[in-house]
Amino acid sequence: MSHALEKTALRVGFISLTDCAPLAVAKEQGFFAAEGLDVTLCRETSWANIRDKVMLGALDAAQMPAPMPLAATLGVAGPRVPMITPCVLNLGGNAITVSHDLFRQMLALAPEALREPPYTADALRAVIEARRILDKPPLVFATVFPTSTHYYQLCYWLSAAGIDPLRDLTLKVISPPHMVRALEMDEIAGFCVGEPWNGLAVDLGLGVSLISSYEIWNNAMEKVLAMTEAWHLRHPQTTLALTRAVVRACRWLEKPRHRELAAILLSRADYVDVPQQVLEPALMGVRPHRPGEHGIPQPEFLVFGRSAANFPWRSQGLWYGEQMRIRGQLPPNVDVSAVVERSYRPDVFREAVAEIDMPVPTIDYKAEGVQHHAWTLQEATAPIAMGPNAFFTGERFDPVREAVHQQPAGRVH
Amino acid sequence: MAVRVLIVDTRPQRSRKLEQSLREAGFEVVAVIDGEDALHDKVCELAPDAVVVDTDSPGRDTLEHLASLGQRYPKPMIMLSESVDPELTLDAARAGVTAYAVETLSAPVVRSLVDVAIAHFRSHALLRTELVKVQRSLESRKLIDRAKCRLMERYGIGEEAAYQRLRKLAMDRRLNLNDLAREILSTGAVD
Repeated sequence: MSHALEKTALRVGFISLTDCAPLAVAKEQGFFAAEGLDVTLCRETSWANIRDKVMLGALDAAQMPAPMPLAATLGVAGPRVPMITPCVLNLGGNAITVSHDLFRQMLALAPEALREPPYTADALRAVIEARRILDKPPLVFATVFPTSTHYYQLCYWLSAAGIDPLRDLTLKVISPPHMVRALEMDEIAGFCVGEPWNGLAVDLGLGVSLISSYEIWNNAMEKVLAMTEAWHLRHPQTTLALTRAVVRACRWLEKPRHRELAAILLSRADYVDVPQQVLEPALMGVRPHRPGEHGIPQPEFLVFGRSAANFPWRSQGLWYGEQMRIRGQLPPNVDVSAVVERSYRPDVFREAVAEIDMPVPTIDYKAEGVQHHAWTLQEATAPIAMGPNAFFTGERFDPVREAVHQQPAGRVH
Repeated sequence: MAVRVLIVDTRPQRSRKLEQSLREAGFEVVAVIDGEDALHDKVCELAPDAVVVDTDSPGRDTLEHLASLGQRYPKPMIMLSESVDPELTLDAARAGVTAYAVETLSAPVVRSLVDVAIAHFRSHALLRTELVKVQRSLESRKLIDRAKCRLMERYGIGEEAAYQRLRKLAMDRRLNLNDLAREILSTGAVD
């Protein structure tokens, strides 16, 4: 270590999800310790708790859905406290799952829309229209937080089929570990959540997974390591050390044999607390589908270290900012791109991994939705093998040109 | 009209007492629910002015979502910067209390609501610590009694003699009585 750490005993928050793996591995395999960090992992019961505890200083840093630091800096659906992420924990790992009952209705009304997974929401639209004619109340769907990737993914998938998420459905928020029970109790008809909760719902015969987050948007950032900007400024070297430990854990997690070990580790009561067999498919690159069947092989369902996964792409942050605008969460006249620059910190990432032998992107924005196959990123310290970044809608999101012509980013107050 | 409060807490004993105190302080408690089940529907149906919730309740995210839907839903205390100072927010977080309130509630009302809740959660936590202590000492006494009986049977000695022998053994082995008793009972070894 080249510089002294400002703080070594850290409290880092997480939620019971398969993608807490980088934090669990960094702790249990000694990657935190190798950086001189004594990290206590704190399992929290809600994303609101994670956000508040990071804000109040009860946690030093935490796992967060990728849009959350941006939302906190903007003051969307919560208090305005500038937060940053120097590092992405994983790409993908979510899915949209509906109850058996609803799937049967979808199949009855629009079998042609359910031939080959991934399924669009066209069949769901048919059910919604039928219910409207019969004067039945709107179906209830759940996500995990008003500014989570799941919320935007579900809304995006619904909108693509002409469903207005706020008018045609009732949307609720339920914390991830309670999702399966809510489906079982018929409190909700479907949800968008991270693993292992889709897999568990399918294993228990409660539902069918219609589409994965990978199928919605290939290789999109999912959870990030985040802290307040103020904490980062007071602890710059500690931020770098944390980032390095997590990046090393993510690289460790890319070995198939290590994924098996991760399943054993995460099944522990103090992590996700579900049987190892429930955790394994997602970790081994299989996304859930229907009860009684094998899942669908999807090697990039959950990515930790490949495809420059840990790099906090500002283009992806900007896409989530755009979703906040579309969903009516942004006040008018907000310069989202300036806030994106403030919250997603590729500069900190680069500094952190400078001493690790790994290629790093030299650009902060890339065109999203344009790569339909594996490709090579040339704008990097050495070429990086990348996975596709397509949207299921065919959308192209290319902020690169705009960013070039933009004024230097102003500070947000 | 009284301020209408919803309590969300998984510990019935604590929430019953909190309900009583809030009533005495002039609040109307519209319902007490535990955990997350049907929280969304309950809030929509009861339209409370404020919600007091255990910080560790998974239902918090449901409340955050509702707060983001509009003015008619209670907002997190942490966002009511005008009526709640950061010190109180921090105190509440330490005590494990989170409060939500509609923006029309006056600052003193929110503060007194939060104060009552904090006081309750704290005294409950104290009680729990006391209770745990009492339980531990009860268990330890039972353990020592059983070990004593074992010695009395084996050596055909009286209760007082058995107790003395136990104490001497503990001192020789530098163990406390509790650990020694556990060892005797699990291994049967006394020498």
